[in-house]
Amino acid sequence: MNPRILLGWKPLLIAACGLLFFLPLYWISISAARPEADIFRYISSLSTWTFVPNHVTCHNILELWTGSFRGAILNSLLVSSLTVIGGLAVCAPAAFALAVIEFRGRKIVFGIMIISFLIPFDAIALPLYYVMRDLGFQDTYTGLVLPGIGNGLAVFLLRQFFMAIPRELSEAAKVDGLGWFQIFWRIYMPLSLPALFSAALILFIFQWQAYLWPLLIAPSTDYKLAAVAITQYSTTVGTNFGLTFAGAFFISLIPMILLIVSQRYYVRSVAATGGKE
Amino acid sequence: MLPKNNTVAALTFLCPALLAVIVLRLWPAGVALYDSLITPGESSLSLGNYAFIFSDPQFLGCLAMTLVFSLIINPLQIAVALALALLMDNSLPLTRFWRSLVLLPVAIPQSVSAAVWGVAFRPDGLFNAILAPLGIDPQPFLTSPHQALGCIMLVVSWIGVGYWMTMLITGLQDIPKSLYEAVTIDGANWWQRFRYVTLPQLRRPLTFVLVADTVANFLVFAPVQILTNGGPESSTNLIMYDIYTRAFEQVDRGGASAATVVLVALVLIVVSIQFRLMSDRRDE
Repeated sequence: MNPRILLGWKPLLIAACGLLFFLPLYWISISAARPEADIFRYISSLSTWTFVPNHVTCHNILELWTGSFRGAILNSLLVSSLTVIGGLAVCAPAAFALAVIEFRGRKIVFGIMIISFLIPFDAIALPLYYVMRDLGFQDTYTGLVLPGIGNGLAVFLLRQFFMAIPRELSEAAKVDGLGWFQIFWRIYMPLSLPALFSAALILFIFQWQAYLWPLLIAPSTDYKLAAVAITQYSTTVGTNFGLTFAGAFFISLIPMILLIVSQRYYVRSVAATGGKE
Repeated sequence: MLPKNNTVAALTFLCPALLAVIVLRLWPAGVALYDSLITPGESSLSLGNYAFIFSDPQFLGCLAMTLVFSLIINPLQIAVALALALLMDNSLPLTRFWRSLVLLPVAIPQSVSAAVWGVAFRPDGLFNAILAPLGIDPQPFLTSPHQALGCIMLVVSWIGVGYWMTMLITGLQDIPKSLYEAVTIDGANWWQRFRYVTLPQLRRPLTFVLVADTVANFLVFAPVQILTNGGPESSTNLIMYDIYTRAFEQVDRGGASAATVVLVALVLIVVSIQFRLMSDRRDE
């Protein structure tokens, strides 16, 4: 094919694909910022005003923030942050042991971890719900956070990064009399900040997207997470479009800011878990 | 040979994670298995719940639906992700920017995607407004047994495809450029380069994406619960939603647990078959 023709259509096609994925986000944003009557009026027949807001208002956003949704967003932020902290505390030492310390049965332990990573958590959400409910974890932050902290992807990613750190470092440290914990804390952790950051992103996004688990374990309004709370605006009686879009806007915006700031790390984490050796 | 204190140290480091695996995965899996063997009215363990669900048209229907859903959505998502990856793996100006637009929705919860697309799918919603000027009659979308499952696919693909695309792009970037140069000298055209270099070299990431995507799509729940409640005419009753209604609407813990065991078994089968495929074809 003539390379000049290729150069002509390829950037256009790339741009079109990018815009196609962005369009729903744009639609969410403008709908969140226009009066509810307008959302309805301009989606039932196509016009310029379907995609260009002619009246801009803060009404939806203000109503959302004075209602129960504010609590739900704060709950989501809290639960996702706790998941990141707890998840790193659980996954990083495990990945260190699996990557650096040689011990009998390492392969078996790694195998168990792989299997627990292959069976997605949602598949066993129902029996886990029975267990956690009987233990009294219904409507608690602990109940919301706990299932998110044992993340196979995060262990996988950190282990891969740790294995790339030269052995000589830990051997030299051992000669100098450092214990395993000091090697972990003073050598591996500071060297692994990018990998820790990627693991933190995985943990955060996993928890931010969770729907089935918070729906089961936290039925009370006080512990509602944002991803669950958004559905309250569309009921069989009718949908509050303004609040649905304003809620969708905030729930999408927060992880998106994280992604934009740290896209490099996220792409790296996706790549590292993508079955590469 | 290995110092003994290594084992102690390793166990100390692994302790929290092992505890999490046992308490949060193995224990509930055991509970599901046990619950599935308890049949109301019978004093000993039995396979009564399995006999029941496998003769229940609702469950057989949901298995069939889940299969249809998987057979359509997985090839479709991977084909789109691969096409996007091939298109966007280049150094043209602005490509990085457009690529990140495709990646942006990946962090959005499926429930949010469902709530938003639900508005677009309404009879008086955005899609029918777009179709009207093209001379296409209003479509029923979520209220049609023929279209509802397709709508669910769109809801989950918008946020899913960017992730798989990113994985495939990193796979493409690992292919040695010299391979392309070699076949180009031999006069290979675009299709031959794709067929004989890109595809074989991409086998590992592609297989991984296929496994991960299949498993993820087995568990689609939020869009079904929010948009269709399994309907119309059970056309979107996917297995995760079936388990949920069994447990909480029909209050049948045994049946729901049996269905959970079936789901976990299905997931394990998919994973093992696909990993075997991956190692068998290594020397091709």
